[in-house]
Amino acid sequence: MTAELVSPTVFAWIVTFLTGVVAGAWFVYDIINLIRARRADGSDPLVSDRRFGYMVGLVIGIGGVLGCLRFHDVM
Amino acid sequence: MGAAESRAAAVADAAPTGQLAAADAAPARRRVVSPFNPANAVTASRFLCLPPFAWAVDNGYHQWATLFIFICGWLDKVDGLVARVFDCRSAFGELFDAITDGICYGFALILLAAYGWAPALPVALIIGLGLLNSGMRGVYVRRAGRAVNYKSYAMERIVGYTGYLVGFATAQFEVTFYYWLFVPLMTIILVHDTKRMLIDPIPPAPAPEGAR
Repeated sequence: MTAELVSPTVFAWIVTFLTGVVAGAWFVYDIINLIRARRADGSDPLVSDRRFGYMVGLVIGIGGVLGCLRFHDVM
Repeated sequence: MGAAESRAAAVADAAPTGQLAAADAAPARRRVVSPFNPANAVTASRFLCLPPFAWAVDNGYHQWATLFIFICGWLDKVDGLVARVFDCRSAFGELFDAITDGICYGFALILLAAYGWAPALPVALIIGLGLLNSGMRGVYVRRAGRAVNYKSYAMERIVGYTGYLVGFATAQFEVTFYYWLFVPLMTIILVHDTKRMLIDPIPPAPAPEGAR
């Protein structure tokens, strides 16, 4: 059994892809959810829970993409 | 929340935490399901990832460790799918899924911190916040007087992030950034969920089958 499965460069790009693409998709997905939920009654605790969850999803999505950009010294 | 509305919400959310969302998807069709079912077997199989994960960390094999934790996270998605396909969603499965998440990711984070692959302070804070959340859920169950899981959309998302945290440490991928981003986010979610679980009124239990 070898210590590594792929070269370090390929591995870094696999992790970048798995993180960046998922985080980006998550951001888009939750922004769509948030737009869809805007017409719902905000005084309903379940609706506000859902909106809060979508906003957390947005932050996680942005954080995921930012981390990838930082890793590759883009920012 | 009505059954159809709940099911639609779960579908719209694409079941972010496997059986957690799957079990919530059809409260109107609750029936007795054996705990020995295919979905729980998949959930239990996640524990099999931990020994090879520990072996990889101990030997300094970053890529193997990342692969094993990836498989563990992937099985978390598969169990929800299996639960839907075999129609074996249950309250036990929901709880078992959440406990498995906690054990697998908790073990992995502690191991990584012990080997210096992850920063110890954020790991300690994350474990502490996780235990606090589990305690709140216990109080919520006691308040409700029935076996009920508090469904938190935000916590579902942060659990997904927790799986990634382990992967970031094994891959040494912006570890400090991702770990320190996680801590304030989880703190905010915990404060929000604590208010909902300990102060706000508890929604009534779903009507039993046949009562609709």
